[in-house]
Amino acid sequence: MLVSEIEVVTPATLKECLTMIANEDMNTRLIAGGTDAVVRMKEGKWRPSTWVNIKGLRELRYIIEKDGAIHIGPLTTHTDIIKSSLLQKKANVLVEASREVGAIQMQNVGTIGGNIGTASPAGDTLPALYVLNTVLELSTRNSKRIVPIEEFFTGPGRTILKKNEMITNIIVQPHGENEIGIFQKLGPRKAQSISIVNVAISLLMEKDRQVLSGKIAFGSVAPTIIRAKKCESILTLHPLTDEMIQNVAKVAWKEVMPITDVRATAEYRRDMASSLLERGLYRLMRRWENK
Amino acid sequence: MLTFYLKVNGSTRTVLCHPTKTLLDVLREDFQLTASKECCGKGECGSCSVLLNGEVVCSCLILISQVINQEIITCEGVGLTTNMDIIQESFGAEGATQCGYCTPGIIVSAKAFLNGIDYVPTEDEIKTALGGNLCRCTGYTKIIKAIRTAAEKELVIKGTVTN
Ligand SMILES: Cc1cc2nc3c(=O)[nH]c(=O)nc-3n(C[C@H](O)[C@H](O)[C@H](O)COP(=O)(O)OP(=O)(O)OC[C@H]3O[C@@H](n4cnc5c(N)ncnc54)[C@H](O)[C@@H]3O)c2cc1C
Ligand code: FES
Ligand code: FES
Repeated sequence: MLVSEIEVVTPATLKECLTMIANEDMNTRLIAGGTDAVVRMKEGKWRPSTWVNIKGLRELRYIIEKDGAIHIGPLTTHTDIIKSSLLQKKANVLVEASREVGAIQMQNVGTIGGNIGTASPAGDTLPALYVLNTVLELSTRNSKRIVPIEEFFTGPGRTILKKNEMITNIIVQPHGENEIGIFQKLGPRKAQSISIVNVAISLLMEKDRQVLSGKIAFGSVAPTIIRAKKCESILTLHPLTDEMIQNVAKVAWKEVMPITDVRATAEYRRDMASSLLERGLYRLMRRWENK
Repeated sequence: MLTFYLKVNGSTRTVLCHPTKTLLDVLREDFQLTASKECCGKGECGSCSVLLNGEVVCSCLILISQVINQEIITCEGVGLTTNMDIIQESFGAEGATQCGYCTPGIIVSAKAFLNGIDYVPTEDEIKTALGGNLCRCTGYTKIIKAIRTAAEKELVIKGTVTN
């Protein structure tokens, strides 16, 4: 299939879109901002016979608070997320992650739905969504299911999404008064670079440096995002002193299972995962104490 | 082949092309607006930057089908030699351009950035705003200086800062 032979259809409503992707005779793929899709199309990796262009579907672009959760439409751009005062206040870890996606040009068009849909192990919003207990709403023309984000990815570029299905809502659990979060990334260049390692941390604090519970999610150190459960389990044992932070970072070094690829060696990733976590926890404690 | 309508630099334009043609190729090949340049073709260098409804985007990664009836401003729309924008004048005055390949994209990024603020930005803020634009000639120092100068001049004109 040549690029010039690919068709583009633009549904006016979500309903129309779900009907289009339900058509078994058409080899369709959604295109939102296109920042992954067009690159892959040019590389020859993604050549559907028809792009279903959802960029203009306003009904899927929103950030609202509802029943104690925050609902984010899949067509919400990274710029929308960065500018949202609601997310800055109650889910800042996601704002920090979106700020690290590419440069302004990518943030203005790249969407959160596209970041999830690409299912890159390096996708920057993904660890943040993991620590915010995110669930995804997946819809077909005549059904809906709710899936925790942990169960959505099956490998690099692979998800449980069916051909006739799409992400229609992203539901995150907002941070309460005593919850704090941070996102840290290491890339080859400050802007426009895919993460070598990234990590999101969310902690529920008691008082001083005592942690009641915590979540840590790493990207780029396994085929999909992983929760560092061993690290999480020791977070609560003692107050998070500088010494404790170093111990947690050492556990992370053992817990991650990175591979060597064009961007970095496994050993370097392991070292960096440990350092990013250490730095993140230091910074979080400083923020907590200055709160 | 299909017909597409869009607004470019203030006027409505029509193009007959295949629906997956990039906005960059349409601007250059069909509209002869050749300020926007293709370099990497994959979003990394920013030489193809244009404004889409006032926001800076990489036109090499946007399909013509995705910008029907939308408003595009290219570097030509920011200003030409006869009606240069303050940013363009500052680039000339400060020597912020050498081979010039990156310049139209950087002018467009700088325009979007300065449109969104009403103070003189710090060096760090300018660096963040230009994070998506690469230049292999200037070493960036003069570009950053030119943008600061442009910001100062704009504020003087608006009367917010007095010199
Ligand atoms: C130069 C450059 C730098 C980048 N830097 C980063 C970075 O630092 N960090 C990072 O994480 N990413 C980065 N990216 C990748 C990309 O910008 C992001 O993943 C972005 O969020 C993708 O969103 P999109 O709307 O452009 O997706 P698209 O390209 O439109 O779509 C991507 C995939 O998601 C699917 N999809 C889109 N919407 C839905 C939906 N609602 N339901 C189901 N599937 C859907 C599409 O079918 C497609 O398979 C970069 C890309 C470029 C080109
Ligand atoms: S040509 Fe578009 S970003 Fe390089
Ligand atoms: S002036 Fe030559 S690339 Fe910037």
